[in-house]
Amino acid sequence: MSTDVLVVDGLTVYRDTYPAVQDVSFALAEGTDTAIVGPNGAGKSTLVQAVLGILPRRTGDVLVLGQPLSRKGVLPARVRQQIAYLPQNFLFDRRIPITVNELVALGWDSLGPQLPWANRQPRRLAVSRALAEVDALHLGPQPISRLSGGEMKRALLAYCLVHPRRLLILDEAPAGLDVRGESEFYQLLYQLKQAQGWAILQISHDLDMVRKHCDRVLCINRSIRCQGSPDYALSPDNLVSVYGSEFVRYRHHH
Amino acid sequence: MPSLTSTLELFQLPFMQRALIGGILTGLMGGLLGSFTILRQLSFFSDALGHSALLGISLGLLLGINPSSVLLPFAVVFALGVAYLLERTRLWTDALLNIVYSSSLAIGVILLTFVGQYKGGINSILFGDILAVRSGNLWVSALLLGACVLFVGLTLRSQILLTLHEPLAIARGISALTHRTIFIVLLALVVGTSIQAIGVLLISAFVVIPACAARLLSRSFTGYVILSALLGALGAVLGMVISAVFNLPSGPAIVTMQLAIFLVAIVLPRTKLSAV
Repeated sequence: MSTDVLVVDGLTVYRDTYPAVQDVSFALAEGTDTAIVGPNGAGKSTLVQAVLGILPRRTGDVLVLGQPLSRKGVLPARVRQQIAYLPQNFLFDRRIPITVNELVALGWDSLGPQLPWANRQPRRLAVSRALAEVDALHLGPQPISRLSGGEMKRALLAYCLVHPRRLLILDEAPAGLDVRGESEFYQLLYQLKQAQGWAILQISHDLDMVRKHCDRVLCINRSIRCQGSPDYALSPDNLVSVYGSEFVRYRHHH
Repeated sequence: MPSLTSTLELFQLPFMQRALIGGILTGLMGGLLGSFTILRQLSFFSDALGHSALLGISLGLLLGINPSSVLLPFAVVFALGVAYLLERTRLWTDALLNIVYSSSLAIGVILLTFVGQYKGGINSILFGDILAVRSGNLWVSALLLGACVLFVGLTLRSQILLTLHEPLAIARGISALTHRTIFIVLLALVVGTSIQAIGVLLISAFVVIPACAARLLSRSFTGYVILSALLGALGAVLGMVISAVFNLPSGPAIVTMQLAIFLVAIVLPRTKLSAV
């Protein structure tokens, strides 16, 4: 059990009056890459947001690094610092004046009260290292308003990487990257997983990418429909049960 | 136009000095909180707070309590109530705020008719009287400015994250509700303490205009926040001088100078100043 980075047990989340996520249980071990797949509206984003304490849950338990997530979504600060999260459609207001360096630096500090100029040197070093890792060192002084979609993704990934973490949660992260960017992205994830033992949980719509890169798949349509290795979980029979027969016929004909 | 020396003499008068310091303090506070207010799309919220202060003042007068001691608690309770209302209902924020501020203005004016003679008169409530600022008011403003600087300074990175993307901030363990509440309370206090000098109609300009000008001139967040506070103070100083020289009402003179700064920020070539 000590290697389980995330344990979710019997999680049920309501949106308004209906259950968007029902009785979901799974665990993530260190150094694994797990994909969540499922049709639109299946509750995938709701699931990860409840795991992070962004949305309240109705029932169930969430343990991150052995620490329980409280009913109100509170985790100890040192555990929070081990988690990175990249939300879906990270569309923040581009009119907000902030440089890439500043954005990435936000990922470095643990966010208690502190003087704004404290730890300047180590922070700056960590930011350059993270930007270099995603091949975006040149973007550092740029305001985010000037970034393209792909450059923005790199900056956000650097925000996740700037501090060593144990758990990385991505909500359709590579969407918006071109082919080369996407392959570099998956390479980087592989490296984080292998060399540093990060546990990765990613929502994806790209089943081919999931087949190629992930160790395990959770098929979700409100509840877990199947889970296992990509070969098993993404077999035609299982896809029918998750996405419906129309989807599978479409994929076979094209 | 009066000569330079006579203007300087004017600023040797204690009430002019108090007015100048009061203007600078209000400008700094308005600019500092305003930088976050406009990005979080709370500009209209600060406007509603300002208008609602009339209701607070008339309540105080009606109950026979000194209006300025009613104003601060009223502003805080009112702000929290409106914030709660905005969260709970599914109507559009600007429409709801419109209901809030026009109705509090209406009720405030009706209450004032029961008060009879109010020596300041409605005019001074609407447009303020910065020359009537006392040293006690200055101490309150200075303390409040200190509180704002401490809060924003010590939680700067949390504030930036909350402004960028709230779920992202919550995922990092930031309590969005706590921070939002503290911010709204501070904003209400700033508006409440500044009402007497600036008036209910113009107070939101202090929050919105310097911040917008600073946004046009900034590319980094920290630079933007600092510049916004400084432009707020600059607008106050220029406005006080203009009002002394040309014998204009001071609140409107300051807001006009803020507008002038904003227009200059629009015209200035972006490339040179965007390094801030």
